[in-house]
Amino acid sequence: MTANRRIYLDHSATTPVDPRVAAAMARALTENYGNPSSVHAFGQQARAAVDRARREVAMLIGAKPNEIVFTSGGTEANNLAIRGVCEAAVDHGRHIITSAIEHPSVRGVCDALEKRGWEITRLPVYDNGIIRVDDLNAALRPDTVLVTLMWANNEIGTIQPMHEIGALIRERRRVENGQRHLWFHTDAVQAAGRLPLNVDEAGCDLLSMSAHKLYAPKGIGALYVRRGVRLAVQNVGGHQERERRAGTENVPAIVAFGEATKLAREEMPERVAHDSALRDRFESRVKELISDVVMNGDRERRLSHLSNISFKFIEGEGLLINLDLEGVAVSTGSACSSGTLEPSPVIRALGVNDEIARGSIRFSFGKDNADADVDYVVEVLAKAVERLRALSPLSVVGR
Amino acid sequence: MSYSTKFKDHLAHPRNAGELPEANVVADEQNPVCGDRLRLALVVNDDRIATTRYLAYGCPPTLVCGSALTELITGKTVEEARRITKSDVIDAVGGLPSRKHHAAALAIEALNTALDSLTKS
Repeated sequence: MTANRRIYLDHSATTPVDPRVAAAMARALTENYGNPSSVHAFGQQARAAVDRARREVAMLIGAKPNEIVFTSGGTEANNLAIRGVCEAAVDHGRHIITSAIEHPSVRGVCDALEKRGWEITRLPVYDNGIIRVDDLNAALRPDTVLVTLMWANNEIGTIQPMHEIGALIRERRRVENGQRHLWFHTDAVQAAGRLPLNVDEAGCDLLSMSAHKLYAPKGIGALYVRRGVRLAVQNVGGHQERERRAGTENVPAIVAFGEATKLAREEMPERVAHDSALRDRFESRVKELISDVVMNGDRERRLSHLSNISFKFIEGEGLLINLDLEGVAVSTGSACSSGTLEPSPVIRALGVNDEIARGSIRFSFGKDNADADVDYVVEVLAKAVERLRALSPLSVVGR
Repeated sequence: MSYSTKFKDHLAHPRNAGELPEANVVADEQNPVCGDRLRLALVVNDDRIATTRYLAYGCPPTLVCGSALTELITGKTVEEARRITKSDVIDAVGGLPSRKHHAAALAIEALNTALDSLTKS
């Protein structure tokens, strides 16, 4: 029952820690144990390490170091951004614009604010998984205080038209009597380190990142907050992070995050070329060997490392476990709990039926995968799909 | 969620899967909420279940409970098969979390539907 090979194709869920990152973190654990808030030399040594990491993180997205707030991860960054902006701008409006395919951490905060009286507009994404800027333009209101749209989607990898969105929002602020309290946040957890990001070019005011998506450990992330954005602080009781997030800094994790962003910036072209070659090889083999598949999301405007495929007549979790038994790790966005079907909201937002949504699997490649991994996965995938289809009344009885 | 070794074995090697053209009785059951489906086909000779086949669509517990059910009932008399419960199916797959018990319930519903239509005919 236990496979000899283990192949990890779930890099959108998390990535293995790069040995260079682990080494940097280990050094920080043993050498930089001072509290960065302490005035003595031990503290200042830790402070210097945090500052170096902050410069690296800022450089990855074209920001200034003092615009970076370290958090415990992407979810906290999204919470801080959305709650922080909305609570600070409550006198100017209670309208938020988001999309139908946001990460649960954005969706959840918006849902919670909706219950507290905020109005939420959720933009549709159409069959390619991309919003239309015209829809955003039509949805903007004088009382809109926040637009929160993910840079790239975590399930299908589609990339939103950030520059057009940013330009539209800037224009709304610039016109006479413009909306000075309209801010643009983006959840860039999947995009950071995988796409060249520049906050000025994209015109975003807040940007969330997570370290463990770019070969660093879990438990550390960051929120970029453009100078001038008013943010209601969510963690109080300390002066850390320029009064924006109280709590002693997680120095070793921050150092690891800094090292990982440096590596991501330096190695991005090679990583993107590597991942997209693997993904294209995988998709082409899947189409050759397996019938009745649906490739989800836009074919061009998407992240290079991710492939989301629905296999007709079968359900994703059964396929996931069959692959797991062969040593292959993938993920599915659908779940069935207590007899209640919960197909992936992202795949459903593409306008597909429940069967296609339930049969979707995400394969996400990484820098340590090789061509031979792809070939092995396609081989075991084809067999698993065949086995499950032989069992399915949707395929067997329908023939 | 972690599944038992028995569960994984049924999933990787489904027992008695497929169609059964010579079946005396076929039952199709569907969970109206989640859409999971189970088709159970039986050949019953002299009041004894001689052959069983099943087809299933849905979450892994539904596939696995269908497979386990066929092992539980094959060779049993109709009366013996009627005494098989949801708990027997859950035990046969090495246990299920309570939120997945609906899969075993679907298997028992398919069995009862098949046996009822056999009795009626």
